[in-house]
Amino acid sequence: MEFVKQFFEIMNKLSDLSTGVQPTWCPGCGNYLVLAAIKKAIGELNLEPKDVVATYDIGCAANMVNNLNVCGFATLHGRSIPVAVGVKMANPKLTVIAQGGEGGIVTEGGNHLIHAAQRNDDITVILNNNYVFALTTGQTSAATPKGLKTRSTPEGNPFEPLSAIDLAAVAGASFLARTQSSDLAQTTEILKSAIRHKGFSLVEIIQPCVIWLKDYPEENKSEKYQEKPFKDIKDFFNKKNYLGILYEKI
Amino acid sequence: MKMKGNFSLKISGPAGTGIMRAGETFSKALNRLGFYTLVYPEYPSQIRGGDNNLQIVFSSEPVNSPNEKIDLLLAFNSECLKNHRGEVKKAGRTYELGELGIKVETELVKNSATLGFLWKILGFDLKVLEEQLREDFKEEKIFKLNLSAARSGFSKGKDVGLRIWKGVENRELGRRKGIINLTGNEALVRGILVGQCGFAAIYPMTPINAVLTELSKSIVTVFRPEDEVAGILAAIGASYAGKRAMVATSGGGFSLMTEGLGMAGIAEIPLVIVLGQRAGPSTGMATYSSQADLNFAIYAGQGEFPRIILAPGDLQELYRFGAEAFNLAEEYQVPVILMTDKYLAESRFSANEGELKEIKVLKVSSGVKNPEDYKRYQLTKSGISPRAFPGQTAFLTNSYEHDEKGFSTDEAEMRNEMMEKRRGKLSGLKGGFEKYGEEGKRGTLVSWGSTKGILLDFIKENPDYNLIHFWRPWPFPQEVTSILKKVKKIIAVEGNYSGQMADLIELKTGLKVQKILKDDGRPFFKEELEQKILKLKC
Repeated sequence: MEFVKQFFEIMNKLSDLSTGVQPTWCPGCGNYLVLAAIKKAIGELNLEPKDVVATYDIGCAANMVNNLNVCGFATLHGRSIPVAVGVKMANPKLTVIAQGGEGGIVTEGGNHLIHAAQRNDDITVILNNNYVFALTTGQTSAATPKGLKTRSTPEGNPFEPLSAIDLAAVAGASFLARTQSSDLAQTTEILKSAIRHKGFSLVEIIQPCVIWLKDYPEENKSEKYQEKPFKDIKDFFNKKNYLGILYEKI
Repeated sequence: MKMKGNFSLKISGPAGTGIMRAGETFSKALNRLGFYTLVYPEYPSQIRGGDNNLQIVFSSEPVNSPNEKIDLLLAFNSECLKNHRGEVKKAGRTYELGELGIKVETELVKNSATLGFLWKILGFDLKVLEEQLREDFKEEKIFKLNLSAARSGFSKGKDVGLRIWKGVENRELGRRKGIINLTGNEALVRGILVGQCGFAAIYPMTPINAVLTELSKSIVTVFRPEDEVAGILAAIGASYAGKRAMVATSGGGFSLMTEGLGMAGIAEIPLVIVLGQRAGPSTGMATYSSQADLNFAIYAGQGEFPRIILAPGDLQELYRFGAEAFNLAEEYQVPVILMTDKYLAESRFSANEGELKEIKVLKVSSGVKNPEDYKRYQLTKSGISPRAFPGQTAFLTNSYEHDEKGFSTDEAEMRNEMMEKRRGKLSGLKGGFEKYGEEGKRGTLVSWGSTKGILLDFIKENPDYNLIHFWRPWPFPQEVTSILKKVKKIIAVEGNYSGQMADLIELKTGLKVQKILKDDGRPFFKEELEQKILKLKC
């Protein structure tokens, strides 16, 4: 009986967290599960929608602003982090989440990621990494795997990808995690830990684009991922295929 | 007893010798004697060496104009002497510090020794300077070092009977308090504090660095961001979360802020932007003045959205609008750009204490009372929607075009309604300009920002001219049209190359405006301006 009661409580919370607006993502997009995981995490942490601020980037996942019923703020491409930083400084009682794709967080807004990590600002950054600029019809971002053919690299991407987790680690972030959108349970748990964490937390959610990523990179195939917690940043540095909470400094 | 006209002296020395500090002490000591002062600094973009110089003008009447020619030059070395010798009037005096034979315990107090020497040349009572040093140097050891340097300098000087004292029996105007002495930045910060600013994000940049320094000592939450992009966005975040928020920058930083400016416009976030102009384009002349960013401020950002631009011209207005900018931003939920420039921001002016008047500060918004079915962008008659803050209710804020609830939309009808709503918000704004002087038989001068002071000095001596000062160039105060239609001729005096305010007046009123322009990094000098105005053909 207790279980049933709890189940309904959570379901009610989840419906509170919905604006009733239908998402506009492609069929099969990982964002549906990311949205579900964020709702579950907020619901299970018992946070009131009015006390949660989510600042959004511009991009596919960022369109979530219309679907998640919290204090949502659609900002600018690459700029969700500095808006979140200002919100948290003005009212530290709020739970503050900054969302962005790897285009926004690593490419356009890399500077903000580095400095928020350096200052250990008490916000949670949710990074939706689909390896390409998707809403602009599939061009390379700074995190695109080397060799990938895209609309801006017909001969293949000539550059090594830049990892947000490595960048944030070097800058001094105190919570780093990587998960896959397909794993709802793990993504939810990781988001809960990240939100609970005092200080800067970065959660990279791997979610390959179903439309623009035809040439999916070998090293990022899901069976290659391993779960492993680390004590020191140098242990996971430059390794793209580890999942879970990679590092937490309390 | 009043002195005739004003006296202008210049101190020039390498950066790091305490010239700026000396200007503050010297002018404040002069204020103690009842003189009004103006201290205009020029310095290169370097921290040690080079040629830092101060022009100190004092008079028994309020003084707002730096001079082209000076009565006295004191140079710390031969290079500085060479740089400025040409500015000294024929009957003026020139001194080089090395040749005065003043002994000091350390190089660090050479500046105070200089002040002592000058004090004697001017024929003032040493006690007054000593009192000022006492006030300026709190630490006993430092005070004593400076005091003994000043005494040493004083002993080497002699009262040379300067021409300004001819027929003047008592050089002291009567010891008095009540003349305040502030830099433009300091007056602005006083206003900002009265305006209940709660958050300031400032990336350092000349000429607004003192705003960062002063606010850092106050109760305001101060954030030194990674760049100006982050600065404006953090301020927007703080404002959205319920604090009165600001940024301060110069043209280069404002360039980076334009995307944030537009977001504040469409998302309807109150925000104050202090824009201290300096000579551009690009890095330009980083430590020199300019008024060339008016067009940029009016038109910055893609799309069209309402904004307010304030252009204070003196200490009184810097103080007043420093506070009122926050009222306006909050009342209309728009970005307010408060423009200063290097000359206005970093020069040290004087005023009568009562002139920094009490300002009515609107109550800081406490957000929405009834959060049920709250609409952040509710369509109202005034175009202004009730605000809510995170923590009160869940609501959407959006940089995309949006509906009343904040949901993104591309629909034509809602787009039109939202554009109308935003554009209509400022339709009720009143005022924006101030008239000085009588009818202006020979012409009406126009100022915005820092040219106000020097033009006020001019019309005082030339009552055939009057002045219209635009303290709010944007939205353009259309009521001015009926007044300008009646005047003899309109003469805009601006520190830029093309006459941006003049063009704006022509655009908005259809009237012809004559231009007196200067954009060489320096303010207008008294003699230069007189010549330029009087030379204009009717």
